[in-house]
Amino acid sequence: MTELLERRPVRVRVGSVSTDADPTPGYSPEPDDAEVGRRFAAGDEQALAWAYERFAGQVHGMAVRAFGPGPDAEDVTQQVFVSAWTGRAGYRPEQAPLPAWLVGVCRHKIADTWARRDRQRRAAEAAITEARTAPESTGPQVDTAVADRVLLLAELEQLGQPQRGIIELAFFEDLTHTQIAARTGLPLGTVKSHIRRTLERLRTRLEVDGAALHA
Amino acid sequence: MQHCTPEQLALAALREPLPDADAAHLDACAPCRDEVASLRRGVDALAVPELAAPSAAVAPPPSVWAAIAAGTGVRTAPRPEVLAAAPVAPPPPPLAAVRPQAGPEPDPEREPASAPVVPLRTGRSRLLLATAASLVVGAGIGAGAVALGTGSDEGVAVAAAALTPLADSGATGEARVVERSDGTRVLQVDLAAADPRGGFYEVWLLDEAVEDLVSLGVVRGGREVELTLPPGVDVGEFPIVDVSVEPLDGDPGHSGQSIARGTLES
Repeated sequence: MTELLERRPVRVRVGSVSTDADPTPGYSPEPDDAEVGRRFAAGDEQALAWAYERFAGQVHGMAVRAFGPGPDAEDVTQQVFVSAWTGRAGYRPEQAPLPAWLVGVCRHKIADTWARRDRQRRAAEAAITEARTAPESTGPQVDTAVADRVLLLAELEQLGQPQRGIIELAFFEDLTHTQIAARTGLPLGTVKSHIRRTLERLRTRLEVDGAALHA
Repeated sequence: MQHCTPEQLALAALREPLPDADAAHLDACAPCRDEVASLRRGVDALAVPELAAPSAAVAPPPSVWAAIAAGTGVRTAPRPEVLAAAPVAPPPPPLAAVRPQAGPEPDPEREPASAPVVPLRTGRSRLLLATAASLVVGAGIGAGAVALGTGSDEGVAVAAAALTPLADSGATGEARVVERSDGTRVLQVDLAAADPRGGFYEVWLLDEAVEDLVSLGVVRGGREVELTLPPGVDVGEFPIVDVSVEPLDGDPGHSGQSIARGTLES
């Protein structure tokens, strides 16, 4: 995801002689993405505006892909930036580029939105069931996949590197273990054993907390 | 029969094809299948198109920033002319096209198709290696030399190639040149491909013009094999790792039927 999101700072050109080396009059020279990330983490308000200029399109693109254009997608995009800003103490610029981190936050917000919709659906169904005084004892079922996603995205957050990067390439970029090894420079055997251990860890999380959640 | 390794079962949970024998075992073995199914619940929860890496950018309407400013209280704002200058993206593709859903299960009986010797497809492996340095997956990991293991005898990887399929062979793999402390070099090849019926896979080093070649030896799909490099062979001169299907016809030359290739990058 990194290379998809890393873009050169957009420079406003004045006249026809401006080059990338010349800061445009009226603006201080724009920092690169890494510098924006550091300033973002440090709480520089200008960095939030720069981050929005550079990455809001990618974040909103994900939200629109999940929910279609409209209020739901706009809510997600807004929540991503608000929650990234208020939670910036949890961002480690040395561990991930800012756009990659924003994309991770966006995944959480998408999963949260699905979970909220699922709760609303169950509440509506429960109301209908009650109105009918249906005899069956089981209420509306939790959508297991929706609940699993919220749980497992949180578990991914707990992974160290390179495990997290490896599993994200497999899950979110659809790379094979061979491609991941080539991309990261890690030996194939290392990639394979990290994949195995991570999938086992996710399974354990589902067994421990997923079961309680679904009961 | 021997069970699949835990690593292979994890790859199967990700829907990667397994070597023939393991795929056949998996088909027939309930405990192995159960293990794959239990690992796959996590895969199916997260590896969905909606959560995939971003594809098309879509500019949010101005009300979104207004809500962010209200929610955070920041007094800065993105410059409208910069937002307006953002490239206009085509509408995002329908979800089905974003990430192919679980592909068809690999057919253990299917023999990889082979391709005639065709112009090299080096673009992909170059691209993959070029992006390695920019990918954050942990400090100190790059595309350069990777120290292998702990034993000093295991040597150091000095070049690597991702093997990508030719035509629709589906064969993939990795090859690495490892230099031992005594100066000898080996090519480690890990090929993911079903073994051919009546024939074998042979590994070659080719020059960039695909004219001269050096035979290194025979490999099988699904296991890592080490082939000794003849002394004096310059991998800069013969940078392309080629895997061919050779019929059992007694002809020592290249059959012309290559299934996978990659360019060594140091």
